[in-house]
Amino acid sequence: MITSGLQIYNANPVFGGRAGWHFPPIFLLGGWLAGGRHWHFAAMTLFSVNLLLYGIYILFTKRWKIRFFSAKDLDALQKSNNVKRNNYAWHRLIYTIIIPVLILSVFTGIGMYKPAQFAWIVSCFGDWQSLRIVHFLAVPTFIVFAIVHWRLALKVGGSSLVDSMFFR
Amino acid sequence: MSKILLPRRRFLEISSLSSLGLILGGCGAPWFEQEIFKATEPFNQSIESLLLNPSKLIAEFPTSSIEPEALLVNTFNATPKIDPNKFRLRVDGQVNRPLSLSISDIQKIEPVRMTIRHVCVEGWSAIVSWGGVRLRDIITLALPKDGINYVNFKSADGYYESWDIVSALHPQTLLAYEKNNLPLPIDNGAPLRLASPIKLGYKQSKWVTQITLLKEKPKALGYWEDQGYEWFAGL
Repeated sequence: MITSGLQIYNANPVFGGRAGWHFPPIFLLGGWLAGGRHWHFAAMTLFSVNLLLYGIYILFTKRWKIRFFSAKDLDALQKSNNVKRNNYAWHRLIYTIIIPVLILSVFTGIGMYKPAQFAWIVSCFGDWQSLRIVHFLAVPTFIVFAIVHWRLALKVGGSSLVDSMFFR
Repeated sequence: MSKILLPRRRFLEISSLSSLGLILGGCGAPWFEQEIFKATEPFNQSIESLLLNPSKLIAEFPTSSIEPEALLVNTFNATPKIDPNKFRLRVDGQVNRPLSLSISDIQKIEPVRMTIRHVCVEGWSAIVSWGGVRLRDIITLALPKDGINYVNFKSADGYYESWDIVSALHPQTLLAYEKNNLPLPIDNGAPLRLASPIKLGYKQSKWVTQITLLKEKPKALGYWEDQGYEWFAGL
């Protein structure tokens, strides 16, 4: 989603328009604007359906009550000296924050994809440029999330835990 | 007990390979782009036509919000030279009364003004006020035959575009001869161009000279579509 999005970004950079800074080709997918759009729209369907199924799962299994950051975590972060409890609370916090970010990127994406049929989405953000900025902000936010998630995992379980997520 | 075909860690292991996309795409190669397009475009198009309500008017903007500087000029070729006195708009194809209209003929038809958002596939948009005639009024004048599904547009610069009939008959699809309350500049498509809030900019042909009503989808879909762009391009 990110690389094809940046391919689209480059056709007319959000910051600075055509004269603005362009992302180097290593971060792009699709080869040109139409290719970037094709990848982005194909991935968009998978991404949204996946997010929707996750939402249904978390709602119907009532896991939403226990999965996300809660007052208990906030309490722990403020009072507890238990390092493990605090790490757990931080982890729950970033996992909880990323969910609205992902939902927001679908929401702003629909606004840019069909701005006439969903004019109210564009109005929510004031104007077109603000909508583009909010949609684009999902990129740095997600990268920061990935880095924080990785650092926290390193802190808790060292590189063996991080490796185990992917390879063991 | 059901057998787990793809254990979670194995799945994550495989998904880590997705970062290889950086190398794949990084070469700037449009590999698989057309395959992905062919696989997903029919579904995408069905969603697009489902979202298009033929009679629903798209919300317009107050004229105070016009962004005159934001509308960039994109042209695939050179700006054509058109003599306004000799200009004719031809309407043909599946019609009972083919037309050849001069500018003054067109200006006799009830004029319409709308202030809408023009959205370019590149990602920018501009709020523009267009004045002209409804495309559907011109199509009606030509007494169309039954079963028309597509409209083809030819332009003086060689540009060509085809539309679905539902979008072409939408009340806010205009053949415009005014921009922001002034006569349409030649760079923006004078004497006559398509203007509509429900299609991306590349569907909105400038310097339109011929409108052909069709039953079958044309083989040449449009200049950019034939390079690989999406055909419906609805907003």
